[in-house]
Amino acid sequence: MSMGNSNSGKSDDMPDFSDVAGGASSTAASQAAFKTYTIVSGDSLSKIAKREYGNAGAWKKIFEANKDAIKDPDKIFPGQKIKIPL
Amino acid sequence: MKFASQLPVLFAAVLTLAACGKKEAPPVTPPAPAPVAVAPAPDLVNVPVSVKQVVLANQIGADKKAVAPATSFAPADTLYAVVETIGSGKASVKALWTFHKGDKTAQVNETTQELTLAGPTTSEFHISKPGGWPAGDYQVEVFLNGTSVGAQKFAVK
Repeated sequence: MSMGNSNSGKSDDMPDFSDVAGGASSTAASQAAFKTYTIVSGDSLSKIAKREYGNAGAWKKIFEANKDAIKDPDKIFPGQKIKIPL
Repeated sequence: MKFASQLPVLFAAVLTLAACGKKEAPPVTPPAPAPVAVAPAPDLVNVPVSVKQVVLANQIGADKKAVAPATSFAPADTLYAVVETIGSGKASVKALWTFHKGDKTAQVNETTQELTLAGPTTSEFHISKPGGWPAGDYQVEVFLNGTSVGAQKFAVK
């Protein structure tokens, strides 16, 4: 079984799921939700922030959520999985 | 003569003594009700977090529970996976949505909730697609702290 790109889901004759919007909520005492995103070639945190939040300046929010995996916000790599806070 | 005048008093005293010696019937008390065996309610709070059930729907209520569970949806639907858990503590609950065509699989969405639970909890994950869902077979797999706790297949027609 092959798995398409985790963000777009587009491969060969497979549909494109890049425009899928997701969310989550809970009755839990406290909660934090995030989407998992896999970096692709040409991505930057500001590009991702623009696409996800409509505001490139929100890259810091993504950086803060991924400080365990991203040490330098200018150095992200294709295939790297990051959290996008919802 | 003096003795004769005291006779009624003595007679009363004898009667009283006789009455004291007489055994009275014990008071009737209703028997104590037999104890009814009641199974203790399951502890849903002081236990490790576990997933009780996962339900799919295209609508949820204010309590985040599925309004009408379903396994078949329309292209314009928002898809909800409602995850009910019991137990207390911190937990990571993830929903991985995928599309299946033959032996190929495409990831649709992966969303995680980091939760602090204090008893039975309902959590929902939802996805929508502006252009509508392509018809076909889908699946949502739910993970608790990184371990799969089950998958549900559904279709868009």
